Amino acid sequence: MGRLAHLWQHHRRATLAFALVAALTLAFAIRSAMFALHWSDPARRDQLVEPWMTPRFVAHSWKLPPATMQAALGDFAMPDRRRTLNDIASDRGVPVADLIAAIEAEIALYRSTLAPRP
Amino acid sequence: MTDALADLVVHYGLWLILAATFLSCLAVPVPTSLIMLSAGAFSAGDDLNLYACAAVALIGAVLGDQAGFGLGRRWANLLDRAHGKTAQTIARAREFTARHGGPGVFLSRWLFSPLGPYVNYIAGGTGMAWAQFSLFSLLGETVWVTLYVGAGFAFADQLETVATVLGNASGAAAGLVITVLLGRWLWRQSAAHRTPGA
Repeated sequence: MGRLAHLWQHHRRATLAFALVAALTLAFAIRSAMFALHWSDPARRDQLVEPWMTPRFVAHSWKLPPATMQAALGDFAMPDRRRTLNDIASDRGVPVADLIAAIEAEIALYRSTLAPRP
Repeated sequence: MTDALADLVVHYGLWLILAATFLSCLAVPVPTSLIMLSAGAFSAGDDLNLYACAAVALIGAVLGDQAGFGLGRRWANLLDRAHGKTAQTIARAREFTARHGGPGVFLSRWLFSPLGPYVNYIAGGTGMAWAQFSLFSLLGETVWVTLYVGAGFAFADQLETVATVLGNASGAAAGLVITVLLGRWLWRQSAAHRTPGA
């Protein structure tokens, strides 16, 4: 009797479990490889400004000088640590989407002042 | 998912990290790797302090490991009541832990991290020496924390992508261990059954 036939007859559950875990492992490996490939495409690397981000986080991620972030926040001083855009917008009573639009506009403006890449 | 979690990390900072690393060492399903990545990312923007995040994560993880080990040990006398084949298996598990336990504890902290909590219970239950367990737990958790908080810090502007890649990779690594162990067991079962000379 072949090994597989023997296992199938005597250890069916363990054999099925083995097949399942092997398939899952392969799926995880393929997924991580695909995401890593996707990520290596520079055109897709920009993340979006989102409500959970803080001004400091945005400034760091988009490599903005403090003045640019300050311009986007308008009259309000750069807040102390740990205030998200959502917090700031609700303090001001404005929709967070407006605040994000203002920040994105400042980012675009700032980037347009940088020397164009060859 | 990331949004709500990142929001929590901003507002509850170190306490959330401490609770998350502690609980995940006890097999409570908390998205600790995402929390550590976010903590690293917010540290990069100076919203949190990198060293404080790493220290708190390490404390939570080591305490969690100790708690898991202690719970396993408390149940150890239940294991002693086993007899027959089960007792043999437990004896073999004890022997295995005594021989290979340390590196197993170390690797299951970070490389095969989904297996970590169970290794804690098993190490406690099979009577692994406390000093040995603690040493390898500390070393392994240091790697785990450095890896995730460090990746969050280094790739703050790519947070979601890094989270996805690391999440899938750690799933693949843990799956590989189980596949290999199960495969080896099945192979032995079928080999033992083969008639000599076949």
